[in-house]
Amino acid sequence: MDMAFAGELALNGALVGLFYALVGLGIVLIYKASGVANLSQGALAMVGGYVAWALATDAGLPAWLAIPLVLVVMFGLGVVLERVVLRRMAGEAPIMIIMVTLGIEIMLRGVVPGIWGADVKRLDLGIGQDPIFLGPMLINTAYLVGGVVSLVLIGLSVLFFGTLHGIVLRAVSDDQIAAWSVGIRVEHAIALAWGISGVTAASAGILWGSVQGVDWTLSLFLVKGLAVAILGGLDSVPGLLVAGLLVGIAESLVAGLLDPVVGGGTRDIVAAVIILLTVLIRPYGLFGRIHIERV
Amino acid sequence: MGILARAAGFALAAVLAASAAATGSAAANDDAVIKFGLPQDFTAVYTFVTSEYNQGQRDYLALVNGRGGIGGATFQALVLDHGNQPQRGIEAYERLKQQGALTIDALSTPVSRALVPRAMADHLNLLTTFSGRSDAADGSTFPYVIPMSPMYWSQAAAVVSYMNTATEGGLKGRKLAYVYIDSPFGREPLPVLNALAEENSFELGTFPYASPGSEQSAVWTQVRRFQPDWTIIWGAGVGQTVALREAVRNGIPRDRLATGVWLSESDAEIVGREQTKGVLKFEAVASGREPKIIADILSEVVAKGKGAGPEAKVGTAYYNMGVGMMAMMVEGARLALEADPTLPLTAERLNIGIRSITDFNAEGLLPPTTLTREDHQGGGAGRMAAWDGTRWVAKTDWFSAHQDLVWKMVRAESEKYRQTGE
Repeated sequence: MDMAFAGELALNGALVGLFYALVGLGIVLIYKASGVANLSQGALAMVGGYVAWALATDAGLPAWLAIPLVLVVMFGLGVVLERVVLRRMAGEAPIMIIMVTLGIEIMLRGVVPGIWGADVKRLDLGIGQDPIFLGPMLINTAYLVGGVVSLVLIGLSVLFFGTLHGIVLRAVSDDQIAAWSVGIRVEHAIALAWGISGVTAASAGILWGSVQGVDWTLSLFLVKGLAVAILGGLDSVPGLLVAGLLVGIAESLVAGLLDPVVGGGTRDIVAAVIILLTVLIRPYGLFGRIHIERV
Repeated sequence: MGILARAAGFALAAVLAASAAATGSAAANDDAVIKFGLPQDFTAVYTFVTSEYNQGQRDYLALVNGRGGIGGATFQALVLDHGNQPQRGIEAYERLKQQGALTIDALSTPVSRALVPRAMADHLNLLTTFSGRSDAADGSTFPYVIPMSPMYWSQAAAVVSYMNTATEGGLKGRKLAYVYIDSPFGREPLPVLNALAEENSFELGTFPYASPGSEQSAVWTQVRRFQPDWTIIWGAGVGQTVALREAVRNGIPRDRLATGVWLSESDAEIVGREQTKGVLKFEAVASGREPKIIADILSEVVAKGKGAGPEAKVGTAYYNMGVGMMAMMVEGARLALEADPTLPLTAERLNIGIRSITDFNAEGLLPPTTLTREDHQGGGAGRMAAWDGTRWVAKTDWFSAHQDLVWKMVRAESEKYRQTGE
């Protein structure tokens, strides 16, 4: 095998995998806080991309101002979704709550392009298009920048769990009733998790939107984010990192090596196969706690 | 406020689109209204392609209606969204048939393919402009499926012909990469490319990417290592812009990169106007605001506030394609009413009218086009154009290429349809 070819596939795949991990991060945060898999994370990434485009291109704000604003807006959207929709579902069966998050995903996929238009929109973050060469291997600059940002955000999330708010979130995650009984405001902790998920989703939407343009297809990140979250372990932030890299590299290598043999189309199968195999063989993922059950 | 206005505008557009082009026709005798069904993809894959194309179609009808229509009849556009889904396309088709549409222009290969049996059975004109199955060029087999435009086999043949001419010593022994969306649309040119590779002795490398094509890095790694002399990309919407961006990133020379009709100012805008300088496309309709019909639309429709969309999009490649194709449909109606002025016009009579269009160029917008009962493609001519950073500049005159090969394949495939119905 041509090692430079495989190396290039693996490197770019790893960087793309970090984008996936950023979407998976939102799923994990909400799972840790409320025990529910959030299936609206792809649409939240899409909304983040659209809001960034609206502020940076439509309203003409500079990127340094538009991006923090988007993150604030998306934090607010996450909190509002929790307060208005999810909190009403308290006490319902987890499957019902998961269906509600799926409903949010579908609704946002329809409504947001309806408001801003379904056509692809250019989101320019000023990232150069010239590639970087590592010997014979080409590294996509946009992927590199996105990968580094993802890495930083995932690292900050790990650190967050050492702060007071993070400890509260962990306590809620461990046992909501016990957390209540010691005076922790569980609703606030869950709302915080939704807010942060909005921010991480928006980051993924902005970064990927600058690569492919902004349109509804950003929401397709959901499947990739789910694959990463499930493989890493739904309650493990460090697991996300490993799983993101694995999923990204696997996708890229499979597409690069198998597509010419079978005639294409293998990339999107990888995430589905990973979800299937993980749930069948190791439902708690690579780093998840063993109590996770199949839903 | 801006968002609310957009939301309200979107809702209103959905309600009003069906009657947007029927200027002054609401109270008119329904028999004197010729209805064109435009179920298209506004929300899934082809998004801005459709919005610009459809805007051009409706603006042209507004121009014709504003001038009093044709032969005592005015025109109405019935617009629906099928989201590029065959099932929704079939539902839209049935609804439009009930509403009296004489033509259906689905602007989607998967939807058009799904509609072929119904249109053939119903004797309802299925217009597969720049889309659909290429063997529909054979009018004797597909009397009610009418491309009216160079189908994908002719586009691919013309692109390869240009590359052959532009390469010193021709394509013999050279490498040509074909990067395409892995869908019926992307796969459509493969037979003609394979045949031309054999005929011209060049090496064809094929590189599919999964729909919608948001992530193509592994594909372009392979393309770069293939070291092609020429590259053809074949997609639309997100897949096309990502392909273009990846090609630029991977150092594929832009003046050695070409595509069919689906590349526009909007695509270049998304990727970067300067970064895409030099890219080539097959142009079946002149772009820009210079063609007379486009200038007329600007002065008689847009300037009066009757435009169907943003003025900035008037004159773009996709917009002009919509205008050109609608001009052909209206020309077909004119010929049908000239032969028999009785109203209402029927789909069968319109069919005869469209299939007798002769040497029509829409005042310079189109290559001279002649449709016959046998040739539904209209000659298959177009021209190559290059993006100069601000606009498409014609690199050749109108021409068609390898039509002997294309028609050999058309007849072979249409024969299969006659035998199997597929």
